[in-house]
Amino acid sequence: MKSKKYSEALLNLFKKKGFKVKEFENIIESKIIIERSGEIFKKSLLSFEDDNGKNFSLRPDLTISACLDYIKNVKRGIYKYAYFDQAYRRTFGKESLVRNQLGCEIIGSSNLQLNAEIINLIDLSLKKVIKYKTTIKINDINIFYSLVDSLKLPSRWRLRLKRHFWRHDYFKELIMRLESNSDLQKNVFELDKKSYFKMKKLKKNEDIAGRKINEILNRFEKKIKEPRSNINGVRVAQIIRDFLNINCPFKDAKNELKKFEIKNKINLNLKQFDIFDLKLKNNDAIFSTNIGRSAEYYTGLVFEIYKKSKNLNLASGGRYDNLMQTLGAKSKVAAIGGAINYDNILKL
Amino acid sequence: MSKLIKIGLPSKGRLKDESLKIFKKKNLSIKDAKRNYLSEIKNFRLNKVIFSHAREIVERLADNSLDIGISGYDLLKESLPGIQKNIQVFSRLNFGFADLIVAVPNAWIDVQTIADLEEISFEFKDKNIGKLRVATKYPNLTNDFLLSKGLTQYKIINSLGSTEIYPFTDQSEIITDITSSGATLKANNLRVLKDGNILKSSACILVSKKSLKDKNKKNLVLSLLKKLN
Repeated sequence: MKSKKYSEALLNLFKKKGFKVKEFENIIESKIIIERSGEIFKKSLLSFEDDNGKNFSLRPDLTISACLDYIKNVKRGIYKYAYFDQAYRRTFGKESLVRNQLGCEIIGSSNLQLNAEIINLIDLSLKKVIKYKTTIKINDINIFYSLVDSLKLPSRWRLRLKRHFWRHDYFKELIMRLESNSDLQKNVFELDKKSYFKMKKLKKNEDIAGRKINEILNRFEKKIKEPRSNINGVRVAQIIRDFLNINCPFKDAKNELKKFEIKNKINLNLKQFDIFDLKLKNNDAIFSTNIGRSAEYYTGLVFEIYKKSKNLNLASGGRYDNLMQTLGAKSKVAAIGGAINYDNILKL
Repeated sequence: MSKLIKIGLPSKGRLKDESLKIFKKKNLSIKDAKRNYLSEIKNFRLNKVIFSHAREIVERLADNSLDIGISGYDLLKESLPGIQKNIQVFSRLNFGFADLIVAVPNAWIDVQTIADLEEISFEFKDKNIGKLRVATKYPNLTNDFLLSKGLTQYKIINSLGSTEIYPFTDQSEIITDITSSGATLKANNLRVLKDGNILKSSACILVSKKSLKDKNKKNLVLSLLKKLN
């Protein structure tokens, strides 16, 4: 009963702000997910094959379902989705296969005002329904990318740090490797130099297991030019760790980051970020560089909402401007959304 | 409840021959082992010997239709967690040694480590070629290993044999496979990555955990294990 009361109240508040409550298809073609995220998400799909060998899955996530609905039925313009339904994932512990998901998404616009609209809507709706004070944590993951670009690192290391930012454990391992120089491979190049000179005589566009000889040689040359030994791994790792510890009132965020720039003699290019202009209705907002690392698809602003007194997570979300295209949209479609942590709300 | 214990042994190849040698060495004589799929240890109480595919032995131990078996450690670790939790490794044996490894074409001279492979996988993704394809007979172990090493942008291609030719026949770009001497890989222009060792395997004696709890069988199972030790 409590569950129904909360979900109805929240959906009604979303509806009043122009969101349309939608139901999504239960089954999606697995290929769509695997093409997007590779094998990492495949493990958690509840899948089956049809008579033609096509693989299908129960919907694993309703943000993805909303995106697929937009691509299939809406196609252009702004669409505001609200939903409360079940998603299904394989679990390896005692967790249930069925997850209740309540959320809202605005698909089809990159308008900055929508960032504030979605955070304020979820925050105010939560306050109205659960009647507790909340704290908002905000971040823009592009600031981390800007930090990485400002550090003295080989380009392949920059890419690696950005790609794995959302995978907490593996990211920690990467930082440790960076610190210890443990993956130094300089001497290994010597072993393949003979092959390199042989291959230089071959046709450059010949294909070897999906890669052109030219590509292989170019990358080999690039690795020689950018040896890992030239970087100060300890310093770089410390800067990254210090950055990920930044936590301050949202109103002080820009100043804190400027101090960080001066201390570490780097340039974060802060002018390019519009997060500092965000108009939030909740004054209790914190800027935290370490949030928004739970999903691979976030591309910019990310937020988390907590029950103030217990620091209990109530909602999270963010901007995902590239997801639509990887799910099959013909061009880039900007989007932002947030999901209520329904299990935690029921605990209140 | 039956007191008879069932022993699963590999039905062919070196695994079968070496398994039979172990029994013989311990003075346990299996009759008619050359042709029959069903036999027994003549000089041991209440038993049946069943010759099966090594992969099947693991599954039958998990559902307790076998009590003791010999199979590859790689096959046990490849099985699903729900199967593994029902099986205990009694001992690793001194044969059937092989490594499960990640191999790439020799000509990929710029790829030495999994970190290199990770970069290549993103090149595939960025160029919209599709995912880097990894052919394997061991999808579970391969997934666990590659994901733990930071490789996420790839697709598993299930292979049943001749995996080594997949990269050169446009069926995959790289492979993971079991190798003992590395000769087949070398002959097929493949090389193992520096940090591409997924698992060190050998034959092992496995026991169904249910049998160890079954009061009708426990003593008989333990007694045979003691003889085999």
